[in-house]
Amino acid sequence: MAQSLAKEFTKGLWAEIPPFRLVLGLCPVLAVTKSVENGIGMGVATTFVLVFSNLLISLLRNVIPSKVRIACFIVIIATFVTIVELVMQAYTYELFLKLGIFIPLIVVNCIVLGRAEAFASKNGPVLSVADGLGIGLGFTLSLAALGAVREFIGNGTLTIWEGLPVFEMGGNFLPFQFMIEAPGAFVGLGLMLCLMNLIGKK
Amino acid sequence: MGDLFVLAISCIFINNILLAQFLGNCPFLGTSKKMETAVGMAMAVVFVLVMAGIITWIVDVYLLKALNVEYLRTVSFILVIASLVQFVEMFLKKSIPGLYAGLGIFLPLITTNCAVMGVCLINIKEEYTFVQATVSSFAYAVGFGLALILFAGVRERINLARVPKPLQDTSIGLVTAGIIALTFMSFKGMV
Amino acid sequence: MIPALLFMLGIGAVCGIVLSLSSKVFYVYEDPRIAQVENNLAGANCGGCGYAGCSAAAQAVVSGIEPPSVCVISGKEGVEEVAKIMGVDAGSAESPLSYNMCEGGFRADDKYYYMGISSCKAMAVVFGGKRVCGVGCIGLGDCVKACQFDAVKLGPNGYPVVDDDKCVGCGACQQACPKDIIEVKTLSEKLMKFNQEHDPLAPCAQTCPAEINIPRYINQLKEGKYKEAVQTIRMRNPLPLACGRVCPHPCEDECRRGIEDEAVSINQLKRFVADFEMNSGSRIPIKCAPDTGKKIAVVGGGPSGLSCAFFLRRIGHQVDIFEAMPKLGGMLRYGIPEYRLPKKVLDWEIQGILDLGIKSFCYVKLGADFGLGSLMASGYNAVFLGVGAWEDYSLGIDGENLIGCFTGIDFLQRISSGEKISLGKTAAVVGGGNTAVDCARTLLRLGLDKVYMVYRRTRKEMPANEVEIVASEEEGIDFVFLAAPTKVIGDDSDNVTHLEYLKMELGEPDASGRRRPEPIEGSETMLDVDMVISAIGQSPDASFKEQDPHPRMTELELTRWNTVDNDPATMQASIPYIFTAGDAATGPSLVVDAIGGGRRAARSIDLFLKGKPVEPLKDSLQNKRIRESIFTKVDGIKKSARAKMPELPVEQRLDSMAEVDLVLPEDVAHKEAERCLNCCRICYNPDTDFPMAKAN
Repeated sequence: MAQSLAKEFTKGLWAEIPPFRLVLGLCPVLAVTKSVENGIGMGVATTFVLVFSNLLISLLRNVIPSKVRIACFIVIIATFVTIVELVMQAYTYELFLKLGIFIPLIVVNCIVLGRAEAFASKNGPVLSVADGLGIGLGFTLSLAALGAVREFIGNGTLTIWEGLPVFEMGGNFLPFQFMIEAPGAFVGLGLMLCLMNLIGKK
Repeated sequence: MGDLFVLAISCIFINNILLAQFLGNCPFLGTSKKMETAVGMAMAVVFVLVMAGIITWIVDVYLLKALNVEYLRTVSFILVIASLVQFVEMFLKKSIPGLYAGLGIFLPLITTNCAVMGVCLINIKEEYTFVQATVSSFAYAVGFGLALILFAGVRERINLARVPKPLQDTSIGLVTAGIIALTFMSFKGMV
Repeated sequence: MIPALLFMLGIGAVCGIVLSLSSKVFYVYEDPRIAQVENNLAGANCGGCGYAGCSAAAQAVVSGIEPPSVCVISGKEGVEEVAKIMGVDAGSAESPLSYNMCEGGFRADDKYYYMGISSCKAMAVVFGGKRVCGVGCIGLGDCVKACQFDAVKLGPNGYPVVDDDKCVGCGACQQACPKDIIEVKTLSEKLMKFNQEHDPLAPCAQTCPAEINIPRYINQLKEGKYKEAVQTIRMRNPLPLACGRVCPHPCEDECRRGIEDEAVSINQLKRFVADFEMNSGSRIPIKCAPDTGKKIAVVGGGPSGLSCAFFLRRIGHQVDIFEAMPKLGGMLRYGIPEYRLPKKVLDWEIQGILDLGIKSFCYVKLGADFGLGSLMASGYNAVFLGVGAWEDYSLGIDGENLIGCFTGIDFLQRISSGEKISLGKTAAVVGGGNTAVDCARTLLRLGLDKVYMVYRRTRKEMPANEVEIVASEEEGIDFVFLAAPTKVIGDDSDNVTHLEYLKMELGEPDASGRRRPEPIEGSETMLDVDMVISAIGQSPDASFKEQDPHPRMTELELTRWNTVDNDPATMQASIPYIFTAGDAATGPSLVVDAIGGGRRAARSIDLFLKGKPVEPLKDSLQNKRIRESIFTKVDGIKKSARAKMPELPVEQRLDSMAEVDLVLPEDVAHKEAERCLNCCRICYNPDTDFPMAKAN
C-alpha cells in the first residue's frame, strides 16, 4: 500500500509530470508564468482543486451514474474552483487579481478533469489524493520552473513569494523583454519541452 | 457603430485569444496538425462561442445578478456551456446532418475549451452590453480561427522539415506558435 | 443561502430536462461501441490525441484507424478497457499488419543529385522521387521515423522491412509514405486490394486479369518456398491448378523478357507450385477473416462463382453456392475436356474451396427450382449471378437438326457428364475458337477416323489458343479454312451425310480488326461427314429472367447479347443487391477473367453489405497499363530458351482422355524462375543494363 502510494505520488513528479509528459493544461502554463510567484500561486490553486475533487470523486465514484459522470465531475470541480476563488479573494487579493480569469478557468483545465476521469473514478480515496497531490505538485514545479526562466531572463529578477527577498540581476544585465511577452511563453515552454525530451531519451 | 468595429478589431488581432490571452491552447496544439481539422475546429468555435456568449450574458445579467448569487458564476457557466454544446450537437446530428458532418466532431471538444469559458467571463468582467458581448464573442472566435488556421498551415510545412529529434512535434509546435505570437504583437499599436 | 440553492437546483433541472428530452428527440443510431469506447476515454476533450474531442477519437478507434491507446490522458487501465471493448466482439477486429509492396533486390539508380531534406514526403512533393523508378519506394525512411514501435527498419537493400511481431497496425507508416509502398492492411483488405495506377507493378502483374502478384510467387518458387508461392497466388486466384492448366496466360504476352527473348513461362510455374501442393498430400491452410454474420448466395458454381465465393468467405462472410449442374466447376468441368483438365484435379481444387466452410447445393436451377424471392426469404443479403454462357449459337442453316448434329458446349457437356452419344466416323466441327478445338480433339479421342475443323477465316485469325491449335495439328485434325457452311445434308432417315460449304476470301478488315471473309459465288463444296458440331460461340442462358416469378426480376437488365448488364468497374447489376461477373456478364471469355471478375464482385458485395456506397475503386488499373512500366527495349539480356512444356507423346494421346500437358520437373521450374527479370521487385533503369539479366 505504502509502496503504491509512493508510486502514485512520485509519478506526477517525473514520469507523468504535466505539462511536459502530459501535454495538457497549457493555457494557465503559458498565461501566468510571467513570474515564479504567479506560477506557484496558480500551481497551488490547481493542486488544491485537484486533491479535493479527486477525493470527492473517488468517494462518490460508485454513486455517480456513468452516463452523466462528466457533468457531475465538472460540477464538483467547479465547486472547488469557486471555493479557491473565494479563499484567494479573501487572503491573497493581489495574486487573485494577477491570475485573473485563470482561476475560474481551472474548471476547464484538462489536467483536473483528466485525472478525475482517468484515476479518481477508478481508485480509492487515499490513492486518488496521492495522485492529485503528485500531479498537482508536478504541475506547480513546472509552472515555477517556467516562471523562473521567464522572469529571470525577461525581467532580471526572481521573486519567490511576496515578502521574501527578491533576487535581482545587477550590473550590465539587460532584461530580455521578449520572454515576458506572449511569444516568450510559447518559445520558453517549447524549449523546456525539448530539454525534457533530451533528458528523457538518454 | 465605430466603437463596435474597434472592439472587433482589438478582439481579433490585438488581444488575440490564442496568442495574447493564452486561452484555448490545448485544441490549438491538438487540432492544428492538419488543415482540414483546423478549419473544422475554427468553424465550430465560431458557432458555439457566439451562442455561449449570448446565453451566459443572459444568465449572468438576468439570473446571477438579479438573484445576487454572482459567486455561482463559474459553476453555472460551465453547466450552461456544457449543456448548450451537447444540445447543439444532438440537434445538428438529427436536423442538419450536413453541417454536423463538418462540425459535429469538434463540438464536444469545445466544452472544455477554455476559450469559450474565458470569453464568457471576459464579457462579464468588462461589463459589456448585450450587443458588445455578442460582437466580442464573435470577434474572439474569428481571432481563434485565424490563428488556428495560420498555425495549421505552418505546421503542415514543418512536417516536411528536418527537425532535431527532441524538438519534434509539440515542442517545435510551441516554438512556432511563439513566432506567430511575435507577429501578432505588431498589431499592438493599431488601436 | 436559499436563493443560491434554488438557483443551482433550477439551472441543474433545466439543463437536465432539456438534455434528456433532446436526447430522445434528436436520437440518431450509432455503433454502440463508439459510446462504450468513449466512456472509457478520459472525456476531457482536450484534443491531445489529435482528434477533435473524445467522441471523434472513439469513432476512430471503433473504425480501426487508431489503436486503443489513442488517449493521452487515460492510463493503462483505460487502454485495457478500450481494448476489451474492441476485443469483445472481435474476434472481428482483424489485426492489421504493415505490408510492403516494393521489395527485393537492387535499388533503381538515382535520377537526380538531391541535396534537400532527407524525407520521402518532401522529395515526393518536389520531384516525385529522386529515383528513376517513379512508382517505387523512395527509400529515405519516412516510415521508419513514423513508427512508434520500432517495427519498421530499412533493410539492406534500402527498402523498409517490417517486423510483424512488433507491428501493431497503427498505420503511422502508411500515412507517412507518400508513395503507398508500405500499407497497413488487414487480411480482408489485402484480399480486396486491386491494382491501382500508382502501384509498383510488373507488366505481367498489370496484365493478369486476376491481378496475381506474379514476380512475387516466381521469386518464392526460386527460393524453394512453394507453399508461400501458392499462398501468394491464392490471394488473387482460388483455382491455381485449373488456371495453371487452361489459362492462355495473357501475362506472358507482356513479359519484359519477351521483348528481347522468349517470355518467361509464367503459367507453367504457377502449375508447378499448384501441383506441388496437390501432390504433397496435404493442403496448405487458407486463412479466413472472422465471421461477419452476413450471408451471400452465389448462383453458379463456375470459375466466377467459385472465385467470388472463395473471396467472400475469406473476408468473413457466409456463402452458399447454387449450381444447376450435378457438380460444381461450371465450364471448367463441363466445357473443358478431361485431357486438358482432369476431373480429379478439379475435384481436389474445388474441395479445398468448399473446405473453407462454403455450402453448395447442386442440381438446382435459378428460375426453375428457386428464385430471387426464395433467396431473399432465406436471409441472403446479396446475390452473385455467375450463371455463365451456356447457350450455343446456332448456325442458322438448313439441316441443323438432323441426327448427328450437335452444338459445341452441349456436346462437351454431355461427354463430360458421361452420357453415351452415338458417334459417327467422320465429323466436321464448325468454328475456330477454343470450344471448337476442344470438340475436335475430344472427337479424335472418342475414336473418330477423321475430324475436320471448318472455319470462315484463316489459321491466323483463329481465336483459339495457339498451343491448342498446334496440339490439334499434331494430333492430325484437318483444317478447312475460308469455308462457310451453308447446308447440312442428310439421308432418308435424317442422318447427316454431308456438310455443304461456300469457299470464302478475305476482304477488308471489320470492326474487330480481322479481315472480313466474303463468299465466293458458286463455290459450293461438299464435305463427307456423318457428324456436324457447331461451336461458333455462346451466350448466357437468360431463361431464368422469365421463369423467376419474383416481381423484382423484371428490373434486371440484359444486354443485347443476353449478358447481365452491369457496371464493369463494380460488377453491380441493375438491381442493387445483385452482382455478376464471368461469362454471364462479359460473354464467353477466359477463366482468369471470370476469376478476376469474381473477386471484383466480392469487393463490391462487401461494400454493399457494410452499407458503404458501391463505388469503383479510385485509379483502378483494370485493363489499363502503367505507361512508364511498358518498355519497348531491354538491353543486356543474355538469351536463354524458355522451358519447354512436357507433353504426352501424340501416339499415346489419342487412345485415352489422359492429360496431355504435363508439369515441369523441379529443376526446370527453378531454371525457368531464374529467367524472371524480377520487374518491380528490382528497379531498373530502362536506359542501362538490367542487373538481373547480367547476373544470368
